[in-house]
Amino acid sequence: MDKGLLAYLLIPLFTAVVIPFAARRRAKLADILANVTLLAGLANLAWLVLRPSVIADGFTSVPGDGLSILLVGLIYLVALCVTFFSAEFLPEEMPNRSAYYSLIMVSVAAMCGVVTTSDFFTLYVFIEVLAVTSFALITTDDSRAGVEGALKYFFLTFPASALIMIGISLLLLTLGSLSYDSLRLVMASGIPSGPVVFGMALITLGFLIKSGVVPFHAWTPDAYQGAYAPVSAHLGGIVTKISGVYAVLKISTLMNFAEGMAPGLSGGIMFLGMLSIAVGALAALKQKDFKRMLAFSSISQVGYIILAAGLGTPLAIIGAIFHLVNHATFKTVLFLNSASLEKSAGTTDMEKLGGMEHSMPWTSWTSVIALLSTAGVPPLSGFWSKLLIILALWQYGFKTYAVLALLFSIVTLAYFMLMQKKVFFGKKSAASERSPEVSCALLTPVIVMSAVIVAVGLLFPYFYSYVWMVAERIFL
Amino acid sequence: MIYHTLLFSLAVIAAIWAVMARNLLTSAIMLALVSVCASLLLFNFNAPWAAVFELSVCAGLITVLFISGVSLIRASTSTTAEKMTYLKVLPLALGIFGIAAWFYLPPFFAELAGWKYTAAEAGPIGKVLWELRRPDLLGQIAMLAAGVFVIKSVFPKRRTVK
Repeated sequence: MDKGLLAYLLIPLFTAVVIPFAARRRAKLADILANVTLLAGLANLAWLVLRPSVIADGFTSVPGDGLSILLVGLIYLVALCVTFFSAEFLPEEMPNRSAYYSLIMVSVAAMCGVVTTSDFFTLYVFIEVLAVTSFALITTDDSRAGVEGALKYFFLTFPASALIMIGISLLLLTLGSLSYDSLRLVMASGIPSGPVVFGMALITLGFLIKSGVVPFHAWTPDAYQGAYAPVSAHLGGIVTKISGVYAVLKISTLMNFAEGMAPGLSGGIMFLGMLSIAVGALAALKQKDFKRMLAFSSISQVGYIILAAGLGTPLAIIGAIFHLVNHATFKTVLFLNSASLEKSAGTTDMEKLGGMEHSMPWTSWTSVIALLSTAGVPPLSGFWSKLLIILALWQYGFKTYAVLALLFSIVTLAYFMLMQKKVFFGKKSAASERSPEVSCALLTPVIVMSAVIVAVGLLFPYFYSYVWMVAERIFL
Repeated sequence: MIYHTLLFSLAVIAAIWAVMARNLLTSAIMLALVSVCASLLLFNFNAPWAAVFELSVCAGLITVLFISGVSLIRASTSTTAEKMTYLKVLPLALGIFGIAAWFYLPPFFAELAGWKYTAAEAGPIGKVLWELRRPDLLGQIAMLAAGVFVIKSVFPKRRTVK
């Protein structure tokens, strides 16, 4: 475990325990404690990574493999947006308000555990903590849809845990150790034994289910639609990326797919990635509910990361990490905007909305930034990550996949433009007449995230040099 | 030997209790007790890794999940009368299993013994927990905290349901 980053795990865990006691008399203290903890963590990380001297050195002084610290920063950023938004969004009289914030903080701690560990069993333990907190967060909205979403999440992701557990047992039996390094050594020897690959295949399958990749995506739309909108932003923005996609990415680098190791597993992952891109995009075209459409869009975008992870070359891994970061930013904006619509207009049904741009200009234009980035329009951040993934595919002869990935990027633009036209553009509807723009407190996280999307796109060379440093440390 | 027999007996009693208990919470706790016994046995058989995994996954994690699950069940459902026919079937099933085990288990274990290898001494449980698997303990603490907050988050709803 990366001990340098241990504090980022321990402090949220401590805050989670403190919150119920502190907020007993004054409920508002729960909001303040959660936000302050995350903001302090983020400021500290920014000091570690974004100092001019560190940037000038080409990020060589960044501790660890660079990936862990990047993902911890991303976790803190998304969680801060979610808690800041929740403070205003959640009903004042909500009975389990402090438990809600404690669950978010435990979930942040668990995610930090996932990205800093270097052992498969510890990874499993933290993934389970994440699963339990996610399940509880979905049920925070005790409507029928919320409980249904939570149960579907439970029934589909816990068999995945069983698969991971069986895989880990096989690995322990055949490898004698569960550390990442021992797997890397065995793969580097060039003669991976069948049971090791089989064990890893089971573990990968478990994580693919947790990522919500097609055909294991049944839980995603219901869970996202049923939960409170900030919870959907938390789940769609960061939790599924860390609890599933990150592990697949890690396995891809550990198993050395780039050198042609375990070609069957690598090919299978790539195929499922492509299938997700296609099915997610086509299903998103048909959706009438904003949140449900975003859920299918998530499935499609996760497909790009999985496709690149399956390929496993340094360029593909750079693209995958970059797209993971980008997806967290633009999906947080879009989910939080769906929450603003729900708060102001009382619905996320796209048929009932229309012309919302007239009354909610900030929400509308931040949506435009996020959707253009998702579709990969230059110079926004999403363009660069998709470009890297498609280039990596083309470079290694996967031309059909490259062309299909490009084509479905256009489909992404199509369904998002349809959404924007239905919800925000056009003539004023009855809904837009009675729905004012949401308060400044709800707009702040969305505007900050939109600024991140634009900044990462425009300052791409700096970000590329960081991700290149990460790839060098992972592969060398 | 007495230590093993005691642990085996305790595991069996706890397992039967888990099946027979009317209260789901008691069942979950008894199941955790089975796991603790199994874990101590594994430790005594020089399999500290398996013991730690058993302790952390089954006694820790699964129990938290069960308790969360039980807390989700509405109060009204637990007042309905249970069908107790399995109480009559259980001794019969145990009897059949006992007779089958008498014949098949000894040769099965004899075959397994051919595969055995003596595990290296990993030291006492404290050493394994603190020096080898410390991050897992942190995960377990997080899991316990999560379990508490899950119950805290779900229980207010039960009051409103009533």
